[in-house]
Amino acid sequence: MTQQDLAEAIERENTQLESIERRTHISLLRRLASLRLTLWLIALLAIGTILALRQEGARTWPMVIPLGLLAVNLLSAIATNGVFRRQTALLVFHLSLVALLLLVAAGRLTYLKGHAGVTEGTNFEGVLAEVERGPWHNGKLSSVSFVNNGFTIEYAPGLQRGATRNDVAWRDATGRSQRSVIGDQEPLVIAGYRFYTTFNKGFAPTFRWQGADGTAVFGSVQLPPYPMHEYSQALEWTPPGSEVSVWVMLDIDEVLLDREEHSTFRLPEKYKLVVRVGNERHEMRSGDTLSLNDGTLRFEGLRSWMGYRVFYDWTLPWLLAACAVAVISMGCHFWQKFAAKPWDA
Amino acid sequence: MEQELQLLWAAIVTYVLAGITAVIGVVLGKRPERSVLTLMFAGLALQAASIGLRWERLGHGPFITMFEILNSNVWSLMVAYTVAYWRIPRIRASAAIVMPLMFIMLGWLMVTHPGEGHYPPTYNTPWLYIHIGLGKVFLGAVLVAVGLSCVIILRHFGFGIRRLGQLPPSPQLDELAFRCMAIGLIFHTLMLIAGAIWAQDAWGRYWDWDPLETWAFITWLTVAFTIHARLAFRISPPVHAAMILTVFVTAFLTFFGVPFVSMTPHQGAV
Repeated sequence: MTQQDLAEAIERENTQLESIERRTHISLLRRLASLRLTLWLIALLAIGTILALRQEGARTWPMVIPLGLLAVNLLSAIATNGVFRRQTALLVFHLSLVALLLLVAAGRLTYLKGHAGVTEGTNFEGVLAEVERGPWHNGKLSSVSFVNNGFTIEYAPGLQRGATRNDVAWRDATGRSQRSVIGDQEPLVIAGYRFYTTFNKGFAPTFRWQGADGTAVFGSVQLPPYPMHEYSQALEWTPPGSEVSVWVMLDIDEVLLDREEHSTFRLPEKYKLVVRVGNERHEMRSGDTLSLNDGTLRFEGLRSWMGYRVFYDWTLPWLLAACAVAVISMGCHFWQKFAAKPWDA
Repeated sequence: MEQELQLLWAAIVTYVLAGITAVIGVVLGKRPERSVLTLMFAGLALQAASIGLRWERLGHGPFITMFEILNSNVWSLMVAYTVAYWRIPRIRASAAIVMPLMFIMLGWLMVTHPGEGHYPPTYNTPWLYIHIGLGKVFLGAVLVAVGLSCVIILRHFGFGIRRLGQLPPSPQLDELAFRCMAIGLIFHTLMLIAGAIWAQDAWGRYWDWDPLETWAFITWLTVAFTIHARLAFRISPPVHAAMILTVFVTAFLTFFGVPFVSMTPHQGAV
């Protein structure tokens, strides 16, 4: 055998090996694209959904595994199944499902949700009481600010809550002042962060705290939500910069929300503010001051506070677009399919 | 309120007469189709008047209590089936199966207390009407498919072969049932999207594992499974029919079971 024959034989063998390898890949892709597998994976996703519903702490993997496998199954089907090349609408529908999946994944990696309570007449300064965020969230909540200018809520007999109207003000990206009324169905949206009013709202005694060094700071105590916790309007509070713990209780001496009549959420006019420091009990009225070991506490008056649900997910408009494409393409696919032949043909 | 209930009772009696006439027609091999259709339309008009009066009195649609939800769904299901009965004459004998199915819901409606519920502020949005309307189209399409599927299953087990002979052969019924399920899938998908938009605005999230939305998604998966199985494999009409019945049971439990065992906002608690 000459050297040239040997080279040709090696080349032939390589070509054969490549062909076998390609056939193996195609065979693997075809297996991954199996329609029977699709049905199993849809069933697995249903089981994962039930698991996720039942176990709040285990909602990620029961969904991620079947959805990931379905995506692989679908992409393999698109790569190997000629139906997708012949039926554009079907292809677009399935691609939009993949896009939805990717968008939901991106949303889960970058989302933020939390809660914040803002006292009337004060600023939201980017701090949340409870927060949950995706590992890649890099939004700028700390630069978001707005003022809660107060709210109105009507109640029907039986303490049935009506519409919430919350007056808010903020500066837009160009620095101009903006003002709006938000409430049910109407969030405040700043820099992609959406602020929703909630049923959590109540009263906030407001204090001026002057420490031993003479610096004065304003602060408010957001008492538990009203009327949900009507009979436990008390909270422990430490004035800013102080180490003294102050127990604050609002004792309301009037019916604010009548269960028998239509009424409106409002601040009480007849009330006592009970402040307890250690074993000492004090009743304070607006303007009263109380001297403590490391400063002076002055009661400035009672205000309301509103609890906001905060939500950030940049994928929302894209998700809607992907859904629209999915439904339209699915509709087109079925229309073409059914128009081609009557059902009783 | 008394007038509303009188109208509702009149509607129920009319539906029952339509159903009995349809059953007798099939049993005796006659075709009282015009009478059945007239009775169906009359029942729909009476029930619409009853719902309209209640809507006017309470200032909100039939979306809150079990009575209202059952009442509006009986009406929308009857609209869906009446349209199918009217527009597709060849399947009219299926009324002998669909109407007795409706009797179950009518019976449930009759024993449900017609009291009033609180209309929460989160329901004050056009998305409520869009979401619920789309859901009703879905359930109506599935009901028509269920009627056809029952015929296929009865024939498969040798029941009523002669009496149901006026209906097209099972493969044709199977194809029509499949088309109804396809319509159902589109409208169920739209219902989920509209619901997500509403939930985002009302509660600040488009998805929160609320039992009702989760079971609605599981129902969507059962529909997708059934359609995929029918498209991908040549499954026999009886197997396809059994899958459609499974979808209907899941959808029925989702629509009428979950909202009344769940305490989440979707129920209207806030």
